[in-house]
Amino acid sequence: MHDWRLLERIVGLTNRLGCAYTRVDVRAGEAHYHATIDFVGPPDALRRLDAQLSRLLNDDKEMSR
Amino acid sequence: MLQPAESTGAKLVLDVLSDEGVETVFGYPGGANMPLYDALYSHPIEHVLVRHEAAAAFAAGGYARAGGRVGVCFATSGPGATNLVTGLLDAQMDSVPVVAITGQVRTALMGTDGFQEADVTSIMGPVTKRSVCVRDVKDLERVLRAAFRVARGPRPGPVLVDIPSDILKARCPRMDPFAARPMPASVERPGDAALDETIALLRAAERPVAIVGGGARSANAVYLFRELVAMLELPHTATINGLGCATPGDPRFLGMLGMHGWKAANLAVNSADLILALGMRFDDRVTGNPEKFARRAKIVHADVDASEFGKIIPVSVALRGDLRQTLERLVRRLGREQMPRFAGWAAEASALGGALPADRAPHGELSATDVLDAFFAAAPDDTIVTTDVGQHQMWAAQRQRAIHPRNFITSAGLGSMGFGLPAAIGAQFAHPKRTVVTVCGDGGFQMSMAELATLRRYELPVKILLIDNRRLGMVRQWQELFYDRRYSHTDLSDNPDFATIASGYGIRGERVEDAGELRDALERFLECKEPALLHCACFPAENVWPLIPPGATVDDAMESAPQTEAIVA
Repeated sequence: MHDWRLLERIVGLTNRLGCAYTRVDVRAGEAHYHATIDFVGPPDALRRLDAQLSRLLNDDKEMSR
Repeated sequence: MLQPAESTGAKLVLDVLSDEGVETVFGYPGGANMPLYDALYSHPIEHVLVRHEAAAAFAAGGYARAGGRVGVCFATSGPGATNLVTGLLDAQMDSVPVVAITGQVRTALMGTDGFQEADVTSIMGPVTKRSVCVRDVKDLERVLRAAFRVARGPRPGPVLVDIPSDILKARCPRMDPFAARPMPASVERPGDAALDETIALLRAAERPVAIVGGGARSANAVYLFRELVAMLELPHTATINGLGCATPGDPRFLGMLGMHGWKAANLAVNSADLILALGMRFDDRVTGNPEKFARRAKIVHADVDASEFGKIIPVSVALRGDLRQTLERLVRRLGREQMPRFAGWAAEASALGGALPADRAPHGELSATDVLDAFFAAAPDDTIVTTDVGQHQMWAAQRQRAIHPRNFITSAGLGSMGFGLPAAIGAQFAHPKRTVVTVCGDGGFQMSMAELATLRRYELPVKILLIDNRRLGMVRQWQELFYDRRYSHTDLSDNPDFATIASGYGIRGERVEDAGELRDALERFLECKEPALLHCACFPAENVWPLIPPGATVDDAMESAPQTEAIVA
């Protein structure tokens, strides 16, 4: 991810979809950062979260070009 | 003094906007974005001064929806920016490309609770595709270009760029119009296997129905949609954002789908064995109870956004990609195949519903549905209609005759009251020579009434058809039906004299309250070459029918209130 604020969006989305996270691990690189997040929640909500995260990450990638 | 090769952040913003094709922006100045307004003073971009930032966001949305281009709005920091929230979320919900540019306090003040400071990028995060603060003028052009790419698609939406005032003032190199820039990301196309599967399902179907949504408008796929349904003689329906996609007068078009949709559309979908869902997202106002929605049907869902597949309704086939390309390929393939035609089923589906039910107004009193029937019959074919939100919006959606989805503009997903008038202002700037009419209720109109001043200042010939039932009608209707007639705070019987208010702004206003005066008043209203307001004082207890109660199905559709006599209009 390129924008730190994306984590904020992910936390918000997780909460909105009734999911939670059991681990958040973030490592900063030079122009981007890596986040490893373990989510828990109902399967349907996790599927929706996954789809929304893909969308967010695509937009993040596009904004950084 | 700037050197010839120099610019400032503010001037660079305007130069990039021009280079991205922006001709008109809607906005409101304040402390933090003053450098931007200073640069506007001598820049060819047309700036439209609205009277509230909320109207700037709605107008940018209306401009984008009507014109098919990115709408742009400006606001200052703090309250200026937060006033954009609803308009940006509205654009997000209906996939409308908007770029918002907000001033921010200077970087040294950020985080100090400075005057008119707000954490705008965080506030805007959930209501935009992306919201970014530019902290170095070197990043400014790259971020603005990216904002336009992301706003345009693949699925359009709003992007916010927050720029501190010192960045707007900072010196920087001038924009190089010939510099190499990133191309838009390529959009996926559905694979052959998914198209084969779709064709096989169509071949096996007996009662297929196509549902078209706002994605057809975004992807410029309207004419391909018309070609598809014509070649298969498919019965078809539309979500509220898909209204106008059907060929005008096509008897296979069943009307709007959903909670207040036409009965034929809902019944046909309910009994379909195959649904072609094209650029729509199965909103709860469309599906009712999703467990019971089209339960006999297999679903082929075409959308540019993979996150929509299976979000509400399980799909049999997902066609991911730009809808125009998807339909182009599908139509081309179908043209080479021996395909069944569904004319018989289409005729059967059309006959499922009957006319729209409507309440009877007491003798002589004006009925809102009569007003709208008469208006749509009299308005020129290419009229652009915007609506506000509430009963009048549903009555208009049921009756509209839009020849293209860019001609019927409404806050669909978010349902933002106050949308109608500023959206019409945006639409009129996008199409200065077209007739633009906003159909408003008395509640929503009063949320953006100050924009009458914008009409007057720019001499925009926007027409306001005000359906005044002296109630917050949709809430009143639900109180009548579902809250035991406890009419809590929905009475607006102390409404002002709207025609007088219009004349206070120098706008022609006329009031009509007698059914017998309606046609002449409408004629004068539509023929007026200037902005005009027609205040229709309507019977207050008229309801929107049909109504599928929330979470229910078409089997539970109501066509009149339990104690109210209904007539077929």
